[in-house]
Amino acid sequence: MTPLESIPEKLGTTESWTDKGGVHWLALEAAKVRELAKAMNEIRARFITITAYQLPKDEGFRLEYHWDLNGQLLGFSFQLAGKSIESIFDFTEAADWIEREIHEEYGIDFTGREYEPLLLRQGETMGVNLRDAVAAIKEKI
Amino acid sequence: MSYKIPMGPYHPALEEPYKLDMICEGETVLDAKLHIGFNFRGIEHLAETRNHIQAIALMERVCGICSFIHTLTFCRAMEGLTDQTPPPRAQYIRVIMAELERLHSHVLWAGIAAKLMGFKTMFMTCFEIREKVMDILAAISGNRVNYSMNRIGGVNRDITDPQSILKMVEALEGEMARTVIPIFTTSRTARSRCAGIGVLTMEQAIACAVVGPVARASGLPQDLRKDAPYAAYPEMEFDVPVQPDGDVRARLLVRALEIMESCKILRQALAKLPPGEFHTGDDKFNFITGTSTARVEAPRGEVMYSVSWKEGSRNPARVHVRTPTFAVMPAIRWMVKGARLADTPLIQASIDPCYSCTDR
Repeated sequence: MTPLESIPEKLGTTESWTDKGGVHWLALEAAKVRELAKAMNEIRARFITITAYQLPKDEGFRLEYHWDLNGQLLGFSFQLAGKSIESIFDFTEAADWIEREIHEEYGIDFTGREYEPLLLRQGETMGVNLRDAVAAIKEKI
Repeated sequence: MSYKIPMGPYHPALEEPYKLDMICEGETVLDAKLHIGFNFRGIEHLAETRNHIQAIALMERVCGICSFIHTLTFCRAMEGLTDQTPPPRAQYIRVIMAELERLHSHVLWAGIAAKLMGFKTMFMTCFEIREKVMDILAAISGNRVNYSMNRIGGVNRDITDPQSILKMVEALEGEMARTVIPIFTTSRTARSRCAGIGVLTMEQAIACAVVGPVARASGLPQDLRKDAPYAAYPEMEFDVPVQPDGDVRARLLVRALEIMESCKILRQALAKLPPGEFHTGDDKFNFITGTSTARVEAPRGEVMYSVSWKEGSRNPARVHVRTPTFAVMPAIRWMVKGARLADTPLIQASIDPCYSCTDR
């Protein structure tokens, strides 16, 4: 069994990998994000980034996590029920900055960690959805 | 007793803003905290208000040195949403431009590193060579910095006389082999200023998920041109220089050796440039609904773009850019821990940081 094939079993999912646009995707529940980070560490996959998507109307957010495994791009998409998901920072140090950036830009809370300002300055309000804030300012103008 | 030294947001070596708060005891750095975002431009958000042509021009401004790489990655992602495959000649031209940009970036960095080492004549030599690289880039694209070369389905300009470009590359390679490479690989000054300082061990490099020359200088043989080849890279023969020591000297050596590998790739690509069209000829595209992801090995390491589009829309729904410096910069904290205060400007510069990319 290759490291890639072992992942669904490690995460206790019956889903299998699907290939789309050069990315291997695996569907998972958001509750599995920490198990995923551990599993990625075990197979020595390299963390790349998290991409946040604000869904239309009040559908919330989608987060896409990407890792690299010897040149193969692995993708995991999580639909957030609310505005929070567990942080993987304690397993994946490389996720620190991107979790902080998403928290500052979208107001998404990565639970179980502390925040220090990254793009914002000390004393500025953090955890606000800047996208909504910009839209509100545009409406006023 | 420990005390805090704030370095920045105006960096002592580079004219771009970020801040490093260092906790020191005597002349030794105990810990450090990084602050970015002083010039954050919101380019990802701006891209959502631009059509595909305008967005390419915008993405060219993410980085002042890797402008070609950013549009290449962005166009490759959009090609995934428009079902476009660039013709072979375009793939070769993309490799040629990407390698010239790598030369430009590495030689510029070598000049700055030389200046920080107190090696000012070397700084001038490097910048003279850099001018020649920019001359080649201008000869191909008509521009020195923002090349406007990439489009969906190929490139905007052809290389009509590859032999003249090849001559320029060979002259450049000879000059670098005579001056820059021997000095950086053998000189006592370079060794004494760089060996054993700013160490990032392989374990730390894995934990921080660093990319590019910084990763390769810590013993990690990762390079997307080999691991996930794109454009015409599958047809190129080259080596990926790796050094095990993880110090500033290892980063210097990796980049010096990469300069020679880039010249090797350039010679092959120019000699084998296939005939035919250099773009698909389409200028109206039907974007499908979905997200497309593309990665490219920039001079500083992996760049990744995720581009989302809704069918019928003029603008992208979302563009996310993960730049190499954003991945590498947090590792500075580990590199400066235990270092002498006087070495920290060189250690910071050794990752070849791009604040423009970081504050995209």
